[in-house]
Amino acid sequence: MEEKLLLESVVLAGEIMLASGAEVFRVEETMQYMLRRSKYETKEAIVLATGIFATLDAAGKKPLTIVKRIHVRSTNVNRICRVNDLSRRFCHGEIDVETVYKELKKVEKEILYSAKMKALGTIGVSASFSFIYGGKPVDLLASGLTGVFLAIANWLVSRVRINDFCSSAFCSFVVAFSAMFIQRWILPTSSADVMIISTIMNLVPGVCFTTAIRDTLNGDYGSGTARITEAIVVALAVAAGVGVGMVCFRAFNGGSL
Amino acid sequence: MIIQIISAFSAVFMFTMLLEIPRKYVVYASASGAIGWWVYLIVQGKEDSSMLAAFLSTLVVAFLSHILARIKKAPVTVFLVSGTLPAVPGAAIYRSVYFLLHDEQVQAIHYLNETILIAGGIAMAISIMDSLFRLIAIYDRRNLKAGS
Repeated sequence: MEEKLLLESVVLAGEIMLASGAEVFRVEETMQYMLRRSKYETKEAIVLATGIFATLDAAGKKPLTIVKRIHVRSTNVNRICRVNDLSRRFCHGEIDVETVYKELKKVEKEILYSAKMKALGTIGVSASFSFIYGGKPVDLLASGLTGVFLAIANWLVSRVRINDFCSSAFCSFVVAFSAMFIQRWILPTSSADVMIISTIMNLVPGVCFTTAIRDTLNGDYGSGTARITEAIVVALAVAAGVGVGMVCFRAFNGGSL
Repeated sequence: MIIQIISAFSAVFMFTMLLEIPRKYVVYASASGAIGWWVYLIVQGKEDSSMLAAFLSTLVVAFLSHILARIKKAPVTVFLVSGTLPAVPGAAIYRSVYFLLHDEQVQAIHYLNETILIAGGIAMAISIMDSLFRLIAIYDRRNLKAGS
């Protein structure tokens, strides 16, 4: 078997999974299963929250090592499922290395829902949560409107690449400000509380937190801590953004909150 | 209550788009979110404790996620992440900031505390279910070895 290509596919699979927000133990397990198909005796894969190392070695052969740094992380469950599926089929011997590599290259670019659908999702989440937090029918409309502002803010943030803290803070600032603006000037019977709470549900780091717990529990303390820190940073950013948004509106509206 | 459960279903349904969950799992993920929220409402109605409600509802969601993952041959994360969404303490975070800005320290601390408790409750529930299913997996593997 072409060990070089195998190692490249294994690292690519790990890279896609990690960049899509999979738990570290899952990434490591997948990589190790795939490496078992190699004829070399020494096979190791190490995954950290920010990088991947994989190596293959055998007596009388040149050792092979690939190191990969992961910069951007987001959540993309579809890619995790697809890589999982591919590696399972590869380990059962149903497909060969070339196919796996080609398929992985495709998966790397695969997007299920377009940006418009995602914007619609953001608006939908905001609107749906309004009833959960005791909103009236008018709040459904108002939260949907705030969701529109959040979708615009999200789009802006994705164009200017800034760090997690700033982007979350900016988005929640927009949410708080627009919610209070809507309550004051557009739909006076709606409740800014409900609007803000249901719209920031888009921003609170629930996914990150869940993954962090599962990582920590599996003994991957490094990435567990990294992700818990990420969750705390985002939560603080949301809180700060909402706070600043409310203070700004108070100033803008002449002192009354 | 029915409206709330339907809202939870539609909220998780919309959220699956943001997480890029494959279409064939979307309905199951939304259903686990709705069931989780149903449990949350029942517990909160009886005990008046958000922490206990979040804990028990996440316990149910985690259990469902593990079962669904086995039936559908998908990663547990698919159902777990979307199912826990309604229980995430977004409201508590907001209220602690709100009261902080209104100079009501006691209330602000109360909600900050609630945020941490709910987060802890969710964490515990996920840990317990994960560990339980790990034990079952180990037991299964032993049986397989003994059988063959």
